[in-house]
Amino acid sequence: RPLSKERRSGQKQVHSHENWSLSPEEFEIWDRLYRIKESDGVKEPVLPQSHFETLENLEDISEHEEEATHKLSLSEWSIWQNRPFPTFMVDHSDRCYNFISVMEMIELLRNEQGDCSYELEIQPHLRIEDVHVQRNKSHLSVANSA
Amino acid sequence: MEAAEGEEGLLLTQRLRAAVHYMACGLCQEVAEDKGMEFSKQAMAPIAEITFRQCKNFAKDLEMFTRHAKQSTITTEDVKLLARRSSSYITQKSDEITSSDHIHRGKK
Repeated sequence: RPLSKERRSGQKQVHSHENWSLSPEEFEIWDRLYRIKESDGVKEPVLPQSHFETLENLEDISEHEEEATHKLSLSEWSIWQNRPFPTFMVDHSDRCYNFISVMEMIELLRNEQGDCSYELEIQPHLRIEDVHVQRNKSHLSVANSA
Repeated sequence: MEAAEGEEGLLLTQRLRAAVHYMACGLCQEVAEDKGMEFSKQAMAPIAEITFRQCKNFAKDLEMFTRHAKQSTITTEDVKLLARRSSSYITQKSDEITSSDHIHRGKK
């Protein structure tokens, strides 16, 4: 395919220029093959900005045109996330496995009504000296039955 | 890691889980009252479990940060590094604690 041929020739030239920026040839290739233009009919992908509900947010929230962008979602495929996805060169991290485990746990709890199996399983292990008992003891079912 | 500690370690892990769950439910309750809403038990349980597992992440990172600084005692500086990617609330908090308690990282 002519496309991949062009891409490869573009890569070859990387060695010939030491600049951080694109060479005119690379720019031309980027502009023609990869750059998102209005005529493409696709929205520019943007990552969601972090926002802390319970803290003052010191990071400036830049107001971009929401309409023109496609905010990449980390939750719309949550039902796929209770199993490890394939990897290429980088293995899943412990953090990643923790995430998968909790997604699996949520999947198991999803259809439960009333008593929570997780709570029933660990409640016998609670030692009251381990926890800071709140003023209002009656607020927790755990406290009531413990 | 849990398995390597055997039966006793597993019991200890569950005890810790139970304590985290208890505290997490308490905090959820506060949020619920604040927001005028409710948490189902099935919603609080994963929050507790995430918290429990996040403690493992923090513990490992803190250990590595401390070792990276050629220290053996974890200090507030290491804790600040946990929050390096986000806003500086932790930095403010830690500075408050530092100024009131006079905690200083040992020299060199």
